[in-house]
Amino acid sequence: MAASLCHFPPAVSSSSSLFVGSKSRSLLLAVSPFKHFPSKSSISASLPWTRSYAVSNDAAAFSVASPSDLRESPSLGEITRPDFPILRQVVNGFNLVYFDNAATSQKPSSVIKALSEYYELYNSNVHRGVHYLSAKATDAYEEARNKVANFVNAADRREIIFTRNATEAINLVAYSWGALNLRPGDEIVLTIAEHHSSIVPWQIVAKKTGAVLKYVELTKEVPDLDQFKGLLSKNTKLVVAHHVSNVLGSVLPIDEIVDWSHKVGAKVLVDACQSVPHMVVDVQKLNVDFLVASSHKMCGPTGAGFLYGKINLLSSMPPFLGGGEMITDVFQDYSTYAEPPSRFEAGTPAIAEAIGLGAAIDYLSSIGMEKIHNYEKKLSEYLYYQLSSVPNIHIYGPAPSDTVHRAALCAFNVDNIHPTDIATFLDEQHGVAVRSGHHCAQPLHRALGVNASARASLYFYNTKEEVDTFIQALKDTIEFFTTAA
Amino acid sequence: MASSSISSFALRRVASPKLLPNSSSSFPSNASSFLCLSRSLLFSSPISFQSLPRSSLIPLRAQQQQQQQQQRQHDQDLESVDASLLPPKLRDIIALFQSVPEPKAKYQQLLHYGARLPPLDPAFKTDAHRVRGCVSQVWVRAFADPDDPTAVRFEADSDSALTKGLAALLVFGLSGSPATVIARVPPDFVQLLGLRQSLTPSRNNGFLNMLKLMQQKAVQLYIESAETGESKPVESKTASTTSKEEKNSILGGEAEEVPGESASRVNGNSNLADKDETSERDDIGGRKKRIVERLQQGLSPSELEVEDVSYLHAGHAGVRGSTDGETHFNVRVITKEFEGKSLVKRHRLIYDLLQEELQSGLHALSIDAKTPSEAHSG
Repeated sequence: MAASLCHFPPAVSSSSSLFVGSKSRSLLLAVSPFKHFPSKSSISASLPWTRSYAVSNDAAAFSVASPSDLRESPSLGEITRPDFPILRQVVNGFNLVYFDNAATSQKPSSVIKALSEYYELYNSNVHRGVHYLSAKATDAYEEARNKVANFVNAADRREIIFTRNATEAINLVAYSWGALNLRPGDEIVLTIAEHHSSIVPWQIVAKKTGAVLKYVELTKEVPDLDQFKGLLSKNTKLVVAHHVSNVLGSVLPIDEIVDWSHKVGAKVLVDACQSVPHMVVDVQKLNVDFLVASSHKMCGPTGAGFLYGKINLLSSMPPFLGGGEMITDVFQDYSTYAEPPSRFEAGTPAIAEAIGLGAAIDYLSSIGMEKIHNYEKKLSEYLYYQLSSVPNIHIYGPAPSDTVHRAALCAFNVDNIHPTDIATFLDEQHGVAVRSGHHCAQPLHRALGVNASARASLYFYNTKEEVDTFIQALKDTIEFFTTAA
Repeated sequence: MASSSISSFALRRVASPKLLPNSSSSFPSNASSFLCLSRSLLFSSPISFQSLPRSSLIPLRAQQQQQQQQQRQHDQDLESVDASLLPPKLRDIIALFQSVPEPKAKYQQLLHYGARLPPLDPAFKTDAHRVRGCVSQVWVRAFADPDDPTAVRFEADSDSALTKGLAALLVFGLSGSPATVIARVPPDFVQLLGLRQSLTPSRNNGFLNMLKLMQQKAVQLYIESAETGESKPVESKTASTTSKEEKNSILGGEAEEVPGESASRVNGNSNLADKDETSERDDIGGRKKRIVERLQQGLSPSELEVEDVSYLHAGHAGVRGSTDGETHFNVRVITKEFEGKSLVKRHRLIYDLLQEELQSGLHALSIDAKTPSEAHSG
């Protein structure tokens, strides 16, 4: 991989003016040597950017740390970009700026390769056969399970259940654990900022069981933890909370939430879809009862996700889907069920996808989640403060600071311009991909008092230069709509 | 609003952002200017892809072929749009857009159209007028032209400027035409505008759904004026079963125009189609009449509007099985009885009065409950 770095040109030029004129030319400078990168002062070091962010559009004016700190090395974004073939494309005449990572992430070549290798070399049904191919497939599949378990530091590999995605994982808990354990009058506490996948399954199960949903409201655009503590009671059986909000960018103190919840005898399910891909998540340290995440948000293929559950909990839960694989013996009028994780993996699983997820975890681990987290922290601050400089903008969620961590995403609205208009124009006229809508969080948007918002969400392969391009594009978009109106 | 299709790589547009959907010659010339140095350098450079075996990448030639094919298909699609099916005003609008080659200018044109759209009376910003599948809010209203009863006029609004532009386009292009012409307008005309609007029927395709809803409302008006035998400027109302089938045949049997709607309804109700039209309407109008009667008796309203919007909900599970529609109604009540009562209490009053209906198949009500003072100040 290092060899290719020496030759690959920057996918995005450093300053906007250069960018617009010579998109084609920059890609053709295939032989710009590694050591030329640092001569452009705008290329960020992977070291601290100071807080005195220059508001000007010219990226070169951005002030960097003192010379002694400034090592002339490329950022994590620049280093990893070559691994993602899809980012090297031109959309509507502009280099693609992909800022929709909260919806789904891109996949590195190694993951794509793992998928095709599976099908080319050893595709076979798992757990069933004795022949060479099936043994190899089974090993790879179970090895992927080990990788996931290690990635989140589960105590036991059996605590990882592969599902189709995080939504299915939550439904699994709802229909299996929920249907068994919830009684009329039992309370489920959720935050108003939960993703629909964390709300709707509980609405369905609450209706069936007579349980009641209670919501934690917002204070200053983050979930109100004091109110949360007040909502906990002996009736609370389950707390459902996001780790990182896909709209607000805020991070909840899961370890504390688990503490408070366990004290009243409630279990905790954490939606870690926006955290597992971006930071170290240690399920034992957090002591959660259930945790869900999806593969496609962490450089893995779509069609895979996982549920982590404490083994004693899983062992006590009835099956979710019935069929092959999850049984021990099948008779005509009854069957006996397998132990977890098999109990919850009915039918032929998404084998290639699980292996792909394993490959994604390998890739992420080779970079190091701490490194990714630190890089994104800086990117997040840069994005937030650059966006704040746009007039008439409102960014939802907390401002990042030394004590307040904010994910590298910003959902925002600009006065008098519909977010869909912004997203459409950004795409059509600038090749910038953001999302507009309610981001599967309608109750949250209602609480914020808006119908929809635009959202830019970053990942470790995005760069500061792309943020500059985005800001420039956004300003252009706003100008278009304010003058044309 | 639905995002435009990004399936076509913009290889042909790299040299300049100009959009040339009508010219098939643009592709090769732009491509060659872009790939001025060497084709191999761009996509299959050994430098960039050292870590991967060549075979795992789509070779450049194949990609180019793909794009050429897409371009050819696109041009074919354009040719297949039958201009004779488009009302003259719409043709004028299309011609205007085609005379503006630059995409940014096209968008400006779209915004100008939107700005010219007269505001829609808030009374019509209801679910019955709402276009499904838009991320923004879009409302559409159809009514017969008071001067020319065979002509349909539209009004629309949206909180998104671009969507409002598209709505305006449709309003200006289709207003004044008879329902039969409107119903036959093919959605792919929008490709002629060069806005790269996606035509994939899906939950999220606002433009497609907007057009379909307008067509549907036009047809409803047509049916109603045909049934009553006189031309009065009526608000678009409920479709009865036969009109549903007629509507489907006029629209060319495209049963999926409003998501999840027509197919199950028509299938479930085919046995009713043979009955006499008037008696059918009595049966079907029965619940609506009863609702009106009960609410009048119970609340003595100064204003009362009851609208059957069951067709909007025909797809979902709660309705399947109750075959005569009449499951969802919009109710607008203005009465002094509501003074001093909270919204919940007002709704409770209405629900109490309609208990029997609720137990005999009425599924849900969308209620607008106001006092006379609220109605006139709001």
